Amino acid sequence: MSLTRLLRRCAAMMLLAAAAAPAHAEADAPASPPRFEFAGFGTLGAVSTDDKDVWFTRYGVNYPGKKDPDFSPDSLVGIQGSLRLTPYNDITLQGLVREDGGASQDPQLTLAFFRQTLAPGLSVRLGRVRVPFFMLSDSLYVNYANPWVRPPVEVYGLNPFNDLDGVDFIYNARFDAFDIEVHPYYGGGRIPFPQGKARLKEALGVNLGLSRGDFSLHLGHGEGTFTLERGDALFVAVSNILQRTGQGGVISDLSGTHGRTRFDSVGVQWDDGSWQLIGEYARRKTNRYAASAHGWYLSLGRRFGPVMPYMVVARQMLDEQFAAATLPSGRLATLWDVFLVSRNNAQRSVTLGARWELAAYAAVKAEVTQARPDGDAWGSYAPRGDVETTRIGGRTLNTFSLSLDVSF
Amino acid sequence: MPVIRLVRGCFLALSLLAAPCALAQIVIVAGARSLLPELTPEQAEQFYLGRAHTLPDGSVVTLADLPAGAVRDQFYQQLTRKNANQIRAHWSRMVFTGRALPPQQADSVAELRQWLAAQPNLIGYMPAAEADGRVKVLLRLP
Repeated sequence: MSLTRLLRRCAAMMLLAAAAAPAHAEADAPASPPRFEFAGFGTLGAVSTDDKDVWFTRYGVNYPGKKDPDFSPDSLVGIQGSLRLTPYNDITLQGLVREDGGASQDPQLTLAFFRQTLAPGLSVRLGRVRVPFFMLSDSLYVNYANPWVRPPVEVYGLNPFNDLDGVDFIYNARFDAFDIEVHPYYGGGRIPFPQGKARLKEALGVNLGLSRGDFSLHLGHGEGTFTLERGDALFVAVSNILQRTGQGGVISDLSGTHGRTRFDSVGVQWDDGSWQLIGEYARRKTNRYAASAHGWYLSLGRRFGPVMPYMVVARQMLDEQFAAATLPSGRLATLWDVFLVSRNNAQRSVTLGARWELAAYAAVKAEVTQARPDGDAWGSYAPRGDVETTRIGGRTLNTFSLSLDVSF
Repeated sequence: MPVIRLVRGCFLALSLLAAPCALAQIVIVAGARSLLPELTPEQAEQFYLGRAHTLPDGSVVTLADLPAGAVRDQFYQQLTRKNANQIRAHWSRMVFTGRALPPQQADSVAELRQWLAAQPNLIGYMPAAEADGRVKVLLRLP
């Protein structure tokens, strides 16, 4: 959905809400006047990897930078405004400036929705929200809210989609000692990347949250169709090779408009104020264009006053590649292998880090990650130089990240 | 037994020393003329964690906060069992994912009282000693 259409829809919803508001307001206590809320968040983050022939990158999130340290994986600024029209409805807009997968720093509209309370505990949002496939997906960029520099890439790299243009419902209720949240959603989104585009369509899913005291459980399932239209040099070269070797049919598994995908996740959090344990398992299944894979992480932190050291163990594994071809050995086979390997983010990693509450709503985080991409994968790295000769799989790479997160 | 008396004496001395440091009771309040009913601790917790903003009868409750400080930290700790860092992270997530609008932050208890008088569906909190006839107590925290 284009930005203009989205804003038009929000404006239409605002008018509808204004028209509907008096009925509610008269039924209850006098309504509060419309009120505007303004807030923001930001991160200044630097990343450096010890081996200088590779870049750390968050696939689908940023494009590998050209500087070391690289500020592109984590640095961002988000601004949010909410207009509370009546006690029963509001409009929220959020803009984000960061480097996206297309190496662009253009502002993105990351939230643009109208919310209406339908019944006690039940609200509907229309417009643009975040894709909530995994436990922390909708707060992926609100780094202040997360204990780490960034949510583990082994899980959150499985879903490159961010925006969901559509509708969602959030229902909260309390049953006995349990707080329950049911969050169904429907919509689509798009992501830009160099010389190509990807679209998520007809995504339908539901998240269930269950919490009691210090413990919370997340279950999520979503599925939809997607398109991936590539135009990059590697894809063009591989397509030419496939055509020349009589395997042109394979190209339709690499790029096109007929993909299907599903995401499943289960996550737990336990936080008693001193100890914090977070774990999540997530799986992406696709029929083409992208590999099917699953990942997990386990994070343990302990607060000592304003400082919380933590450790994260994470793993992503390839379940199934998305295309197969038989090419004669030599450069053609090498190019094909590089193409597949570049699409495989399987790796294992151990992270040691610490978060320091610098002030209210400001935190400094530092972490060292030792990652080992699988032999047939690039993991969360990309070559700086020649993609054919730079081997990443099987190496041990140390990445240092330092960030300052604020919320205001 | 001298040892037992000594231990009892130490406990008594400690309790006397601790008494002046004990935190004041906090109450959740609305304006004196508000029609909001008394709240259960569970309802109040739901509101102040951003998980609910309506009562069972459908009426909307809006929230007010006091400035960052000891009273606010004690309030959230007692009501939600979350410390200041946890609450800040929690509310950042709630606000920036668009799940909830943040509480309005009053600069002082006096300003909070003014807001409560003007907005019948607004609730806030304050030390019990400051809850005078201008406010209606909806819940006393333990």
